[in-house]
Amino acid sequence: MIVDRSDEVPRQKWPRRFPVPRNLGVAAHSRIADGKSWPAPKGAVPIATLRVYRFDPEGAAGARLETFRVDLDDCGPMLLDALIWIKNRIDPTLTFRRSCREGVCGSCSMTIDGTNWTACTRAMADLAEPATVYPLANLPVIKDLVPDQSHLFAQYEMIEPWLQAETPAPERERLQSPEERAALDGYYECILCFCCSSCCPSHWWNGDRFLGPATLLQAWRWLADSRDEARGARLDTLEDPFRLYRCHTILNCTRTCPRGLNPGRAIAEIKKMMIERQG
Amino acid sequence: MPRPRPKSPNMQNYRPQLTSVISFGHRLSGVGLSLGAFGLAGWLAAGASGPEAYGAAQALLLSAFGRAVLFLITLALFYHLCNGIRHLVWDNVRGLELREIYLGGGAVVAASLILTLAFWTWGLA
Repeated sequence: MIVDRSDEVPRQKWPRRFPVPRNLGVAAHSRIADGKSWPAPKGAVPIATLRVYRFDPEGAAGARLETFRVDLDDCGPMLLDALIWIKNRIDPTLTFRRSCREGVCGSCSMTIDGTNWTACTRAMADLAEPATVYPLANLPVIKDLVPDQSHLFAQYEMIEPWLQAETPAPERERLQSPEERAALDGYYECILCFCCSSCCPSHWWNGDRFLGPATLLQAWRWLADSRDEARGARLDTLEDPFRLYRCHTILNCTRTCPRGLNPGRAIAEIKKMMIERQG
Repeated sequence: MPRPRPKSPNMQNYRPQLTSVISFGHRLSGVGLSLGAFGLAGWLAAGASGPEAYGAAQALLLSAFGRAVLFLITLALFYHLCNGIRHLVWDNVRGLELREIYLGGGAVVAASLILTLAFWTWGLA
């Protein structure tokens, strides 16, 4: 029951999802139909079943769930390996983002068995049978498992994620004490996979104006930087009923971060700094 | 013209977790308490407008249905109170490690159940 680390795979069998109709509040063009079920490869014994979200922008059909059966003896250990195996052996049109295959690039984040994680760091052995693979939750889908993240990156740009200083640059680098540098630990490691923003219910309902956990963690990363001199302006940008304060400390973000970071704590730090500024 | 992009599901597919369930419960209990406040105002208004109206209000409140509603309101009150304290702790940037989040959530559920049962067992005696 107690979860110590975000990399613990959810074990509870019930409930798998909230007791709401599948299509509650879902626009007609976003509804998901049952799709093709591909047969198991001949002679394969250990098989994993994957129910994968498909959408082809050039096809006539809408979004659908296709069932693939993966030959585990012929495939690497991680979910990303299985997706690549499907692309090579069953359906070359299956589309997804991937790059580093070791959890440092954040490209292959998706909603796996109902929680967000990077496909390259989720072992097939930890999946349910059958497992579900959806594109990152609550985002417009370009194709299959590739969501459109432009809105999330536009929000990230809004917090001006770069060092801002008025004082002239010294001859060499701007120095930090080890303590000042340590204040960034747990924040600078964010890879912008957007697992957290995608599973934040506040961002689901108010994502147009609420910045979401990933962007707010980045905002704190610059507020906490001893070399940055734009703290006042940064806080001014965030002081808004929606941008910052739509965070209701639900903490799905901290539960899901594939890097084990804590967006919830970063946001609490910003709220506290906001209060301290008011004196 | 390109077709509109479908939106990937959020609540319809995302797994319920202690974090989100406790938070939804906080919102739900808050709504319940707001409705309960109308009930309280109605009960006071009935008391102010004479013995007949007050008697009717009492009969409704003491019926099995009325007691069930009152029980749920006390549960909502204690739950909202306990989770509110958890929020105060968070606002001081404490208790935000994942283990503390889960322990605190379990403690809120247990404490609100114990307080509600204790209130109905001894508080009303």
